[in-house]
Amino acid sequence: MNTHNANPVTIVMIEDDEGHARLIERNIRRAGVTNDIVPIASGNAAFDYLLGDDKSGAVSAKRALLILLDLNLPDMSGVDILQTIKTNPHLRRSPVVVLTTTDDEREIQRCYDLGANVYITKPVNYESFANAIRQLGLFVAVMQVPVAD
Amino acid sequence: MPTRALGLTYVQSTILLIVVGAGMLVLLVAASFRLTSETANRAEAIASERLVRIAARQTHMGLLRAESGQRGYLFTGEEAYLPPYYDGLEEARTGLADLVARGVDPADAARIAKIMAIVEPKLAEMAETVALAKSGKREEALRVVATDRGLKYMAELRKELEQITTRADTVVGSGLFELAQSAHRLSITTALGSGLLVLLAVLAFYIVANNTGKLVSAQESLRQMTNDLEERVNDRTLALTQANEEIQRFAYIVSHDLRAPLVNIMGFTSELESASAQLGEYFKNDNATEAEKAKAAEVATTDIPESVGFIRSSSTKMDSLIGAILKLSREGRRELKRERVQLSDVMTATLASLQHQIDEAGAAVDVPDTLPSVVSDRLAIEQIVGNILDNAVKYLAPNRPGRITVSAEESGGRVKLRIADNGRGIEEADLKRIFELFRRAGRLDRPGEGIGLAHVRSLVRMMGGDVTVQSKPGEGTTFVVDLPKKMAIQNAKEQTA
Repeated sequence: MNTHNANPVTIVMIEDDEGHARLIERNIRRAGVTNDIVPIASGNAAFDYLLGDDKSGAVSAKRALLILLDLNLPDMSGVDILQTIKTNPHLRRSPVVVLTTTDDEREIQRCYDLGANVYITKPVNYESFANAIRQLGLFVAVMQVPVAD
Repeated sequence: MPTRALGLTYVQSTILLIVVGAGMLVLLVAASFRLTSETANRAEAIASERLVRIAARQTHMGLLRAESGQRGYLFTGEEAYLPPYYDGLEEARTGLADLVARGVDPADAARIAKIMAIVEPKLAEMAETVALAKSGKREEALRVVATDRGLKYMAELRKELEQITTRADTVVGSGLFELAQSAHRLSITTALGSGLLVLLAVLAFYIVANNTGKLVSAQESLRQMTNDLEERVNDRTLALTQANEEIQRFAYIVSHDLRAPLVNIMGFTSELESASAQLGEYFKNDNATEAEKAKAAEVATTDIPESVGFIRSSSTKMDSLIGAILKLSREGRRELKRERVQLSDVMTATLASLQHQIDEAGAAVDVPDTLPSVVSDRLAIEQIVGNILDNAVKYLAPNRPGRITVSAEESGGRVKLRIADNGRGIEEADLKRIFELFRRAGRLDRPGEGIGLAHVRSLVRMMGGDVTVQSKPGEGTTFVVDLPKKMAIQNAKEQTA
């Protein structure tokens, strides 16, 4: 897997709800994905990881990242994180999968406008939820992720 | 609302003016007419008196001429004296006839009767003497004259005729005086009437002008009122739109935040289900391998307790969310009490309760000696000030000594309370978010549920005020609570309904 890339893809999971994070991780693993998963619980922690101490994003250069993003974070809106990622020269090519409970039509449009690659609404029904995540896992297993400049 | 002049409505006063004006015109015309006809009557009476006088004079003159003609003829015997005698007779007879026709006055009539009684013997005496003289008996004629019979007749006639003349003169004199009087009255009446009409016109002009002025000012105030109303409707619409948006946002946040633990509960319930199925399989299989045994043990000791833990924590989380929503809703329904609240007292009490945290943070708090007082709900103000001050102390910047500055200003029936800190500040993108339920901003390195400022905003709104925030990340934050100096009674009442 990921034989084309020098770096294996790291999945960055920005999700404040520990339970959701655990369920997502379990279901991704069930799909056979073995990539590293970095769980991040708040917007500020996400910025620290993605942008580094100097806030420039240079720390993410040469990283191959797939970002799973929840919009309902306690300390900031996920939309702000999306915007930051998609305007940062080192991060903008990293695929972002918005995975959230929000199903507001305008919010979905806004995320795609800002450059979200996939938008998935978390279903309350667990079977659908697990299915969606497993399919996402299968999708992750075959997708090519560019290494950031 | 009809405009009023002199205590009457415009229509009433206009009608009254028309009626009074018309009445005065009628009176004026009638008075002029009466006075004019009176003058005419008087002039006619004077003219007729003058004719009476002329007739009397003519009679008198005729008699005198006739008598002098008679005497001249008798004394001289000259025929030349006869024509004046006959002319005099003729004149006297014409005058007498005129006098009889015109002498309608009762006094005159009596005198005319007397004259008629005397004039015939006098004329007869003259005719007798002239006839005697013609027939050459001049001596006899002169004897007749010498009896002084004719002289006596003549004296009486002159006396009667002069009395008629005098009376006519008197009547003419007083008639002329009265004529002048009545002409004077006519001009006074006319002048008075004209004056009154001018006065009425002035009054009418005043009423119309006054009414027009009132109409213009009424129109002006109506326009003002319409503008005010429009402004108030706009304000209210804006406030309602804002409130509506907030309610929608609130419902959205609540539903999504409640859904998140629900996803966990259902998810981990399914995980438990599959774990119990796995364990069931394991217990049914008597020939389980070591690997299967280890897997079953992991499920039983790790997966199941983890799922149970998440279900429990999610349930607790949901319970606390519901509790927070209920608390806000209860606060929203609490009956506000109006009382005089000294902001200084509230500040002192709040700072005392936070003293421990303030000391721990090593912060300084500046509060002016006097702060305004408001008429408002004490508990709500304590909670507002308490939450803002608590945040100020909680989010001070660790790299510099904390300083919190309180100030207040009062203007236009409103009191603005400012609470400024030099703490870590809030990003501009988060300034709106911080007032939303369950939302927090910046690093989540301090305990909190994201309820305080949502509570502050709902309390301030309930009291008819507003709360705003200005902040610069890394420099500090200022909260401004804008409250009415006197909370409207309806704000207190609405809560009881």
